[in-house]
Amino acid sequence: MANGNPNEYVGLAARSKEGPRLVTGHGRYTDDFTEPGMLQAVFLRSPHAHARIVGVDAAAALNRPDVFAVVTPEDMERDTKPFRPGRYAAGLKKPIAEYAGAVDKVRYVGEPVGAVAARDRSTAEDVLESIAVDYEILPANTDVHQAMAGDDPSVIYEELGANLAWQGTLEYGDTEKAFREADRVVRENLKIHRYSSTPLEPLACIASFDRFSRKLTVRTNTQVPENIYDALRDALQLDDIRVIIPDIGGGFGQKIHLIRKYVVIVALLAIKSGRPVKWIEDRNEHMMAAGHACEQHFDVEAAVKNDGTVTGLRFKEIDDVGGSVSTLTIHFTNKLNNLSNTYKVQNIRADGYSVVTNRCPVIPNRGIGKPGMCYIWERIIDRVAQDLEMDPSEVRFRNLVQPEQMPYTTPNGNVYDSGDYPGLLKRALEKVDYQGLKDEQAREREKGRYLGIGVVIGVEPGGRNAARDMAIFPEMKETPGSGGINGATIKLEKNGTIALYLGSPNCGQAHETTTAQVAAGILGVSPDVISTTTPFDSDIAPWGVAAANSGNNFHLYDIGSIIGAATQLREKVLKVAGHILDAEPSELEIADGVVTVPGYPRRKLTFAELGKVAYNNQSLLPEGIDAGLQTTFYYTFPHAQPNLVPGKDRRVRAQFTFGAGAHVAIVEVDPRTGKVEVLRYLIVGDNGTIINPDVVDGQIYGSAAHGIAVALGEGFVYDDEGQLLTITLTDYGKCSTAETPAIEVEHRPAPSAFTPLGQKAAGEGAAIPSPAAIASAVENALEPFGVKVRDLPLTPERVWQLIQEAKA
Amino acid sequence: MIPGAFDYHAPASLEEALSLLSANVDDAKVLAGGQSLLPLMKLRLAKPEVIIDIGGLTELNYIREEGDHIAIGALATYTDLAESELILSRCPLLAQTAVVVGDVQVRNRGTVGGGLAHADPAEDLPAAILALDADLKAAGPDGERWIPASEFFITMLTTSLMPEELLTEIRVSARDGYKSAYQKASRQAAGFAIVGVAVCLKEAADGTCEDIAIGVTGVGDVAYRAEKVETALRGQKLNDATIAGAAALVTDGVDPIEDVNATPAYRAHLAQVYVERTIQAARAG
Repeated sequence: MANGNPNEYVGLAARSKEGPRLVTGHGRYTDDFTEPGMLQAVFLRSPHAHARIVGVDAAAALNRPDVFAVVTPEDMERDTKPFRPGRYAAGLKKPIAEYAGAVDKVRYVGEPVGAVAARDRSTAEDVLESIAVDYEILPANTDVHQAMAGDDPSVIYEELGANLAWQGTLEYGDTEKAFREADRVVRENLKIHRYSSTPLEPLACIASFDRFSRKLTVRTNTQVPENIYDALRDALQLDDIRVIIPDIGGGFGQKIHLIRKYVVIVALLAIKSGRPVKWIEDRNEHMMAAGHACEQHFDVEAAVKNDGTVTGLRFKEIDDVGGSVSTLTIHFTNKLNNLSNTYKVQNIRADGYSVVTNRCPVIPNRGIGKPGMCYIWERIIDRVAQDLEMDPSEVRFRNLVQPEQMPYTTPNGNVYDSGDYPGLLKRALEKVDYQGLKDEQAREREKGRYLGIGVVIGVEPGGRNAARDMAIFPEMKETPGSGGINGATIKLEKNGTIALYLGSPNCGQAHETTTAQVAAGILGVSPDVISTTTPFDSDIAPWGVAAANSGNNFHLYDIGSIIGAATQLREKVLKVAGHILDAEPSELEIADGVVTVPGYPRRKLTFAELGKVAYNNQSLLPEGIDAGLQTTFYYTFPHAQPNLVPGKDRRVRAQFTFGAGAHVAIVEVDPRTGKVEVLRYLIVGDNGTIINPDVVDGQIYGSAAHGIAVALGEGFVYDDEGQLLTITLTDYGKCSTAETPAIEVEHRPAPSAFTPLGQKAAGEGAAIPSPAAIASAVENALEPFGVKVRDLPLTPERVWQLIQEAKA
Repeated sequence: MIPGAFDYHAPASLEEALSLLSANVDDAKVLAGGQSLLPLMKLRLAKPEVIIDIGGLTELNYIREEGDHIAIGALATYTDLAESELILSRCPLLAQTAVVVGDVQVRNRGTVGGGLAHADPAEDLPAAILALDADLKAAGPDGERWIPASEFFITMLTTSLMPEELLTEIRVSARDGYKSAYQKASRQAAGFAIVGVAVCLKEAADGTCEDIAIGVTGVGDVAYRAEKVETALRGQKLNDATIAGAAALVTDGVDPIEDVNATPAYRAHLAQVYVERTIQAARAG
C-alpha cells in the first residue's frame, strides 16, 4: 500500500512503552536532575488572606554566607515586568499589572512574597524564618454574594473599585420568546465548589542562566511550554529561552497557569546568584497556592413544553475567581465548549459575573467550566422530569441531538462531528437493566435501604481555539491566536530504528505508546522499533500553540502531526529505495522495516541499509532528493471553519471534536450517617476511534474517579478570614482506592468525520458528567425524604444535613 | 518540609534514655516510630532542640502473657498488636483497633507507646485502652509508677506523664468470655477517626448485659469512657431499643470538637450511631 496503513496497529492494547519505567520508579522527574553548583530555593508566602505589605526586612538572610540570593517585593518590582494581561483578563475596565510575586499587597494565603536561594533546602527553610514582613491586615473577602450586593468588606484591586470585576452576557437564539411561549419554567439554584486534581508530583523547576550568551534554560514540569516561554519573556525581558520538560507526575491542569509565577522567580534567583537554582513545591504549598477549580454559583431556568421538550435555557453564573485577574473569565467562557451539551435546544442565554476574592486564584482543571455546564444541564433536566412526573431518562431522550443530525451545529456555533447520543443512553440503561433496578429500589426502600440511580449524559470536547474568548469580549480587535498548531518530527536512523520527537510534553497519558502505534502502521514497521524521545526540549521540539497537555489536544494535533510526518517520511523512503532498487516508488511495499518489490524476492532493502545510504553514501542518493531521512510536519485542523473566529453573531467553534458518554451511578445512602457508597459506576462512551484501549480506559478510570471524589467530598474549605483549612490530602478529603468504585466502561465509538483516524479526545471526559451523575443518584436515593441536591460536595455530613432539613 | 536543626541522641538503654530526658527536660522530644512527631517537625509546627530516639531500645518491644495479664512494651508496633496470636485470642479488642490505625506504613512504623503518649484526640487506640481499663507504666528518674488509663489522657496532646518520664509498658487483663469491636467514621479508609468507638462486653445467654465498657475517641478534646451509656445497659437485656436509648447518652457532658471534618452536632449524632452499631457488631462477634 503506497500510503501505509495508519490503522494497522490502531485499536490494539500495545504494551506500554513508558509504563514500566514510570511504575518501577525509573521515571526522570525534575527533582531527579542536578546541575553543578545548584542552589535550592524556597518561597516566603503570605500568612494573610488580604494585607498591604508595609515593609520587608531581609538583611539577616542576605548576610548569611550560605545564602546566595533573596527576592523581595522590591526586587520583584524593580527587576521584573508584569505579565501581559491574557485573554481571560481582556474584559477588565482597567488593565491590572500582575507580577510573578506580590508587590504591594497580598491577596490570598500562600501568595509568594519572596524567595531565597541557599546552599541547601534546609538552610533555605531556616533562613525564611529570619525574613520579617510588616503587614497591614485588611478585611478578607471570601463570599461572592457580598460583592454581588455591592457590600465588599474591602476592595482587592483598587483600580477596579469593587470586587465584582467583570460581567458579560452570551445569548444565542431568542430566549425571551422561548420563555414567553413555554408551558412552564423550571428553576433551580446550583453550586459547584473549589477543588483541584492534586497531582502526585507538585510543581518543580530548575533554572540556569548563562550570563555570557544570556540564554536562560528552565527544566520544569509545565503542561504548556508556551505559557512558560511567554511568561519568562514578559517578566524578565529575555528572548533566548529554552524550556525542557522531563517526565511529569500528573498534570490535569494544575501545571498550566500559576506555575509561571514560580518559574519566573526561580529564574530571577538564578540570574541574581549566577548559579543554577532548583525549587520543588511541597504539598501544603500546592494546596494553598498552585490553583483551584472555581467555585461556581448558578441560577438556572429552563423553558419547557409539557411533553418534556426544553426550548430554552437561561442561567446566571457567579464565579469566585480568587486573588488574581489573570483567569477572570476562564470558567465562564469554557461554558461555550459544551453550552448545549447533548441537547437540541436552540435558545440559550448566560450571564456571567466574575468576582475576585481573597482565596487562591482559579486555574484550568480537568474540563475547567465544562463539569459546571454539564451539572447545570443534568440537574435541570432531572428537575424538569420531577416537575412533569416523567422518568428523567425519558426527558433526556426527548431532547437529545439525533445521530442523523450529525454533523450538528449548536446554537453557539460548535460543530458536533459525529455521535449517537440516544444509542449511548439506551445501551447504558440496558446494561444496568434500568427497569429491574427501579423495581429493586422500590423493594429495598420498604426494607429501609436507600438505593439511588443517577443517569446522565455529556459531551466531551477536544481540540483548542483561543479565538473562542472573543465571543465574550467583542471589544477585542485581534484574535489571541486561533485554532491550534503543533508538530512532530520523525527520523529513520541509520541503524534502521525510528525516533519520534513530539511537539508536546507527556504527563502520563502514554504519548510514547500511542504515537508509536500510529507511526508504525504508516511506516511499515513494528511499534517496538519506534522510540519517542523525551524530554520535551523547546530548542528541538517542533512545537506550536497546541503543544499542550491541555484542552484535550493530543488526539488532534499530536496524532495529526505524527500522521503527517510519518506519511512524508514514507514517501521519501520509497523514493530513495525506488532509486536503489530500480523501481517506481508506487510499486514498492514495506513490511517489518523491509522495502520490497513485489514479485522480485531478491530486490529488497532493509531500513538499516536505507539509513546507511541516506546518511553515508551520497552517490547512491537519487538526484533532487536531500540526504537524511527526517521529516517534520505541523498540523492544523483542516475543518476548523466555519466559526473559527467569532463574528458579530458571536458564534464560535470553542473546540473541534466531540465525544460523549452516558454515565449511570448506582449508590446506597446510609440515612443515619449520610454516607454514600457507590455500588456500581458504568460509562458507555464514545471516544471515537480508539488507538489503544488500555490507554483510553486508564484515562476514563482516572477522570471518573476524580469526578466521583469531587461530588462525594474532596474540596477546599476556607474560614471567614480566608485561611485555608484543607492543606493536607487528608483534610482535603481525597478519596483513596478503598472509596473509589470499580468503573465499568463500554465503548461505542462513533468515529469523527473530521479526523484522520476518526479519533476523538479522552483525557477530561469522565470528569465532566460524573459530578452530575453522583448528585442525581444521591437525590434519587433520598427521594422518600424529599431531598433536593443543589450543591456539591455531598460529604456524609452534608447529606445528613439535607435529610434533617427535608424532615424539618 | 525539612525540620529545623536539632541534636540527636540514640540511647542504648532505658536508663540512658531517662537520664538524657532528665538532662534536656525543657528542650527534648522523644522519638519512637516517628509517625506523629516527624510530620509536625517537617511542617515546623514542632521544633525540638533535642531528639531522643528510643527506637533502638528493643527491650521495650514485646507482647507477653503475665498470668491473667498481657504486657505490651511501648515500642510494639500497631502491626505487632494487630497480628499477635496472644492479643487475638485473649484481648482481641486491641487487635481490632490496631488494624484500622492509619495505613500499612503507619502501622508498621508507629508504636503503641508513641501514639498513646502523643494523645491526639483522633487517635484510635485510646478508645480501646480506656475500654480495657489498661494500666500504663511510666518510668522516670525516681523509678516506675502505674497510671490507670482513666487518669492518663488529660486533654488534647496532653497526658499525665511527667516531662522526665517515659511510657514503657501497657498492661491489660485478658478478656476471656468477652466480645468486642472497634468501629470508626473517617473520611478515607486510612483516615483519622471523626468518631471511634471501642466496645468490650459480656452478655449472658438470655441477652442480659453482664458487663460493658465503651471507649470513645475523636469526639471530644480527649478520649473518654461513655460511663452513662454503660450504666444504662449493665444488667439490662440488650436489644435495639435498650441500646438506642442508652447510646443517646454518649455525649452527655462532653463538648464535641469542631474541625474541617465535622461540626459538633454531626459528631454528637455520629457518636450515638457508632455506639449503637459497635455494640451490635461486638454482639454479632
